[in-house]
Amino acid sequence: MTLSRPAKDAGEPFMSIAARIHEVPDNLLAAIDYCYEKGWTDGLPVVPPTLERVHATLEHEGRPPETVIATHPATGLELSLHAAAVNAVMAGCLPEYFPVLVAAFEAMDKPDFNFHGSTASTGGSAPLLIVSGGYADDIGMNADVNLFGPGNRANATIGRAVRLILRNVFQMVPGISDKSTQGHPGKYSFCIAERMRGNPWPLLCEAQGYPKGVSSVTVFAAGGFCNVENHGGNTPQQVLSAIADAMASYGCITLGQSVVILAPEHMRILADAGWSREETQAYLFMHAKRAVEGMRGVGKYRASEYEKQHGALAHQLVETGYVHRGLAPEDILITLGGGDAGGHSCFIPSWSRGRGSIMQHKPIGVCIDCK
Amino acid sequence: MQLYDPTTSGPQRELLRAPPLTSLDGKTIGILENGKLNATEMLRELARLFEDRHGCKVHAAYSKSNASAPAPAQILKKAADEVDFLITGLGD
Repeated sequence: MTLSRPAKDAGEPFMSIAARIHEVPDNLLAAIDYCYEKGWTDGLPVVPPTLERVHATLEHEGRPPETVIATHPATGLELSLHAAAVNAVMAGCLPEYFPVLVAAFEAMDKPDFNFHGSTASTGGSAPLLIVSGGYADDIGMNADVNLFGPGNRANATIGRAVRLILRNVFQMVPGISDKSTQGHPGKYSFCIAERMRGNPWPLLCEAQGYPKGVSSVTVFAAGGFCNVENHGGNTPQQVLSAIADAMASYGCITLGQSVVILAPEHMRILADAGWSREETQAYLFMHAKRAVEGMRGVGKYRASEYEKQHGALAHQLVETGYVHRGLAPEDILITLGGGDAGGHSCFIPSWSRGRGSIMQHKPIGVCIDCK
Repeated sequence: MQLYDPTTSGPQRELLRAPPLTSLDGKTIGILENGKLNATEMLRELARLFEDRHGCKVHAAYSKSNASAPAPAQILKKAADEVDFLITGLGD
C-alpha cells in the first residue's frame, strides 16, 4: 500500500478552468441577496463566494481545480474541485474543511452509493457524513454534546456544503429533480464526527483498514433520525433491545443498512460487559426483526425480499419466519457519539429499502495506491 | 465584488433525443420494469391500451434490478434494437 498526497500543480492554479464570474456591487448584503436571486441557496443566507476565498480553499487540495471528483450518473453533470470549493465557501466552510468535503464526494461517486437515486427519490434522504480519526479534531469537529444539533462550524458547514453542491452543481432542485415526499432536517446539513474520547472500540477509520494516522469519511444515504431513549436499562441486552425495536419498527424495517450512534452512557454499559462491535452488531441483527405474519398485516411483506434474505446466501443468524433489518450484522454501522449525560442513542435508517445504496468511505486528504 | 458561479459543471455531454414516431399504429412495444411493487402490472396494463387502441404488439419486457439507478446501457441498447418504443415508469 502506498500513501501519497495529491501533487501540487506547479503552474497557475486558477487559470485553467472556465469558471463563470459575476460582478456584483461592493456591498455584502447586496451580494447575499444576489445569491438568493440566482437560486443558489438552501433557503438560508450564504457567504458570497469571492475569488479570494475560493482560491484559499483550493490551497487545501493539490490537484488542478478542474479535476472531476464526482459525476452524476443520469445527467452527466460533473463536480470539479473548483465548483466544490465555491460551494464550500458559500456554506461557510473554512479552507481546512475542504479535504473532508472532497473525500465525501469521492465516496459518493462510487457506483454502489447511487447518489442519483438517493438524492432524487421520494424517500427524501440526505447524505450523512461520519468523520473518523484525528482530522476531525484537527479541524475542530464536534463528536460530543449536541452531536447532531447546531453550534459547531465544521459539522454544520461541511454538511451544508454537500447540500449546496447537490443543488447547484448536480441540479437536484426540490420539486424538480429532488422529489422528496417530506425530506428531513438533515437535508440542510448532516455531518458528525465519531467520538474518540471514551470509545472502547477501534475507530471506524481503523476498522475500515486505513493506515495509522489516516482519517476517513463515511457516507450513508440516510433517512430521518430516530432517538432511542433508555435510562432504565443497565445491561447490554436491555439497551440494545430498545435500539433493535426502533430498527424493526414497521415504518423502518427493510433490507437496507443502518447507522447506530451509541450515547456514552449506553456504550459504557456495553464496554463494562466486554461487548465488542461485532457482538453488538450480531445482537442487533438478531433482534431487529418482524414476523412475516406481521409484515403481511401492514402490507409490507414481499416474497422476493424474504427470499433474498433467506435464500442460499442467507446469514447464519437469519431466523425462519422473520424479516430482519439488513442482510447481515455488517450492515449495521455502530459507533460512539454524543455528550456524557443522557441515555439517548439513535438509529438512522437507510434511504434504500433494499440494496439501492450502500454506504461508502474514503480517506481524507491522502491518496492510497494512487499513480 | 466578483463572485464565482457555483453551478459550473464540466463540459456538457451532447444529449440527443430520438426522433418522435410519426404514428403509433402497429408499432412494437418494449416494457422496462424497474422492480418496484406493481410496476409490471401497471406497465402491462398500459401496454394493453396501446394494443387495443393502436394495434401495437408487446415484443419484449426488460427489467433492471435497481429502481433508482439508470438502466444498464446494454439493456437500453438491446431495447433500441428490438422495439419501436419503450414504456417505463415507477410502480409502488
